[in-house]
Amino acid sequence: MSDVGIDAVTYWLPQAAPTLDELEQRGALRGSAATLAAFGFRQARVAESESHVDMAVHAVRDLLGETGTAPEDIDFVLYAGALTSSTTMECAPAPAGSVLQMRDLMDFFKYPVSRLQSELDLTNAAVAGVDQQGCAAIFSAVRLARATLLAEPDVRTVLCVSADRLPHGTAREVVYNLVSDGACALLMRRNAERNRVIAMHQVTKGAFWDAGSLENEIIAAYFPTARTVIEDTLRKAGVTLDDIDWIIPHNVSLRSWEILLGLIGAPREKLFSENIGRVGHTIAADNFINLRDATDAGIIEKGDLLLLFTFGYGLNWSCMVLEH
Amino acid sequence: MGAERRAAADRRTILVTGGTGTLGRELVARFVAGGDSSVVVLSRGIASSSAFHAGSVRWVKGDLSAGDSLALAATDRDELALAVTDIVHCAADTTFTRALQDSRLANVEGTRAILDFARACPRLERVACYSTVYVAGRATGCFGETDVGGGDGFVNSYEQSKAEMEDVVREAMAELPIALYRLSTIIGDSRTGAVSGFNAVHHALRLLYQGLAPMVPGRAGALVDMIPSDFAAAAAHELYERSFIPGETYHLCAGASGSTTLGRLLDETIAAFERHRPAWRKRSIARPALVDLDTYELFVRSVEEAGNQVLLQATRAVQAFAYQLAYPKVFDARKAEAALAPSGVRVPPVLEYYERVIRWCIETNWGAPA
Repeated sequence: MSDVGIDAVTYWLPQAAPTLDELEQRGALRGSAATLAAFGFRQARVAESESHVDMAVHAVRDLLGETGTAPEDIDFVLYAGALTSSTTMECAPAPAGSVLQMRDLMDFFKYPVSRLQSELDLTNAAVAGVDQQGCAAIFSAVRLARATLLAEPDVRTVLCVSADRLPHGTAREVVYNLVSDGACALLMRRNAERNRVIAMHQVTKGAFWDAGSLENEIIAAYFPTARTVIEDTLRKAGVTLDDIDWIIPHNVSLRSWEILLGLIGAPREKLFSENIGRVGHTIAADNFINLRDATDAGIIEKGDLLLLFTFGYGLNWSCMVLEH
Repeated sequence: MGAERRAAADRRTILVTGGTGTLGRELVARFVAGGDSSVVVLSRGIASSSAFHAGSVRWVKGDLSAGDSLALAATDRDELALAVTDIVHCAADTTFTRALQDSRLANVEGTRAILDFARACPRLERVACYSTVYVAGRATGCFGETDVGGGDGFVNSYEQSKAEMEDVVREAMAELPIALYRLSTIIGDSRTGAVSGFNAVHHALRLLYQGLAPMVPGRAGALVDMIPSDFAAAAAHELYERSFIPGETYHLCAGASGSTTLGRLLDETIAAFERHRPAWRKRSIARPALVDLDTYELFVRSVEEAGNQVLLQATRAVQAFAYQLAYPKVFDARKAEAALAPSGVRVPPVLEYYERVIRWCIETNWGAPA
């Protein structure tokens, strides 16, 4: 157990919130709106003019403002991207106002995290990218932030950021889940006042790297491995499911969560599921959007134990236990 | 009458239905090997007898769905009825996913037809009817040889149709010399692992191998009862030939001592996959989760709503067999064990031969042509 925790969380979602029917009319769904509705979705959040970097900047700016943190107090930035496009400046506005198209060799060396540091004057921060784990990327950022804070005394404040937006024209449905655009930002410190990281656990199964051709096998692998990862995380934390006050999910379908709750033997009442229909699955930011909203709603109390679980392509299953 | 003709007339004539199935084929071989019987196999198609018992078996083209005529010409039927001393009724439709009316047609009406035919056989001495221990259906706990199944409902149409078939058989026991044999799930030969008839268990194993079985309903500690085909044949033959008692019902099953738990069976399955196909481990396929029925049914419903055809077929295939696992039970076989004791025929514990069956399935790609 450590005293490292997530002291503050902010997020940013685009304004546009087309309904399932509107998305279906636009041809943005692979299957039917009715199926997604039955699985618990109502609408998606869709970035129109904003790039992923814009969303990250918004989320971090809010975080610094809310916590009164000076930009120069940030020692380390970990920028998580679930989509491979999120780790580049593809579709991001260039300084001159155009949109980069990744045609020039030098465009591949333009990094979102450097742009973020520059934009927000995080002048004392070292930066790094965390990617290639799909929706589990931000969990790995938290893991690395925690390890850095424990290992390096001169690092006091770490900023973890996650921002993803689907490229224009891409279908907004992945394996019966409705995908939204969005970003989140986390402030991590030693001696954190809330959300202390009690335990983390991750399993990677690279055999499933070719997600497009193994969709059915991935659905089948998801549930039993999710159960194992959750159980192993609880074991690491030295707690049982009964000790957990809230499960803060990634916003895959409510239906898949109901099945997973059945597998792990958790009551439906422990799942904070309000955002699944309203927000959709923002790829990597879900758990922390939900953590923030559950906190703001006053349903989480000081000292509550929270279980956060997510799953990303690659394949990656990640889980953590926090003490609020 | 000359001595030769008298000997021929005294010779037993055993009519076998389902003679090409897993059990029927083995029983025919044993009757032929006995040398004191004429064996007649009733079959809808004249099977290639070169495949087994060439020249020793008379094949008769008939059909149980035609009623007591068996779809035979009247003269052929009468001639057969005059000759038959024994009827061994193995024919059944063992498909779990069949519509109930179709299962009934094969298993209930087919049995009614053969019993009607039996009533017309003046030399009839013995009738064996084969059923399944899973007539117990959704019952839990201990299910005995004298118990009648169905009180708690059934998991699939096969179970229900076999329970209804037993009702027909029990009613006929008042006038015909019938013994009833309930078999457990046959999974393969205990010596070689060879599978002569694939069933729902093998389909479920294949889906697990392919990584398409995320969950199975049931409890880790629930016993799974399975038997090898060589034991099934030896026990069925022994009980029929040397311990036949009209009106009795016997269980040919593994029982508590020969069974293993569902959790252990899954572990052994995964271990066997990894041992006999080391490359399988690289695929990182997870051991299926054991879940309660509600969760499993929610998963099945979700797959149906999503319209995912591959997973739909997979879940239905697992469902037909695996639902039974959610109703833990132990089959009592004390009568059969006592009757078999003098012969030394005993069921081997499933874990003694299970790996050989898995290996055979892998090496033959579940019987697929090379």
